[in-house]
Amino acid sequence: MKILIADDSRVMRQIVIRTLRQAGHGGHDIVEAENGREALEMVRSEAPDLVLSDWNMPEMNGIDCLAALRASGSDVAFGFVTSEGSEEMRQRAASAGAAFLIAKPFTPEAFDDALRSVL
Amino acid sequence: MNVLTFFDTAPDEVDAPSVDDVQALAEDVWMALVGEDEVLVPRMVPPRTPFDATGVWSSSVTVSGGWAGVVTVELDEGVAQQLSARMLALPDDEPVTDGDIADAVGELVNMVGGNVKSLMPGPSVLSLPAVAAGRAAFASDVTEVCRLDLAWRGGPVRICIHVPS
Repeated sequence: MKILIADDSRVMRQIVIRTLRQAGHGGHDIVEAENGREALEMVRSEAPDLVLSDWNMPEMNGIDCLAALRASGSDVAFGFVTSEGSEEMRQRAASAGAAFLIAKPFTPEAFDDALRSVL
Repeated sequence: MNVLTFFDTAPDEVDAPSVDDVQALAEDVWMALVGEDEVLVPRMVPPRTPFDATGVWSSSVTVSGGWAGVVTVELDEGVAQQLSARMLALPDDEPVTDGDIADAVGELVNMVGGNVKSLMPGPSVLSLPAVAAGRAAFASDVTEVCRLDLAWRGGPVRICIHVPS
């Protein structure tokens, strides 16, 4: 399985990768994007099975990236990893076609639960 | 210095998260970033006392919309370095660059600010973090409504929230 991690913070991308490993999902191929626009391009070039995306990013945010993916016909599994975990944000994410939203701060268990829902 | 002014209009009434709520979410964020071994310790600091670290990193995010405010985190330089190294899981002998610290401190305030936003009425929008090496300074058109003074590994940490006056 290939996972694309989109976050403008290198620190957070590393924490997500580390947490995936702690959650028992360390065997996947990982590719990284620094913003939503780059993620959009890398979904086309890398064909990931899952996108784990921050919401708030420069260039293109995560929700616009997801909307662009769905508008282009992509049905790649997409989940948010974001500091904004309110019910309003969860509803927006679900309405746009996200499979899940993991709120920061998170635990390996939260990652395991979320990934099991799309594996 | 990080000079902060953000608002076009003032809200009808001041609404702010409680110190207890902010402390709880700060502890959750800290625990997720550094583990359960080393907790943030509350510090008793008199009101209106400037942040008392010698070297400081500061970062802030603004929330605009259903609730308007700015969330600021100030860290002692040593705390910022050690926190960044911990977040990046760097070996002890590997230096932490200013870029690493800016990234880590920005992510810290993003997490705190995003959780503060979730406590307040929406819908609202969270800005990208602004990070600076130096103390935060606040414009005269904002009022401090919440301040939390903490310590980690003996170094001071401050979280404060300002709203339009």
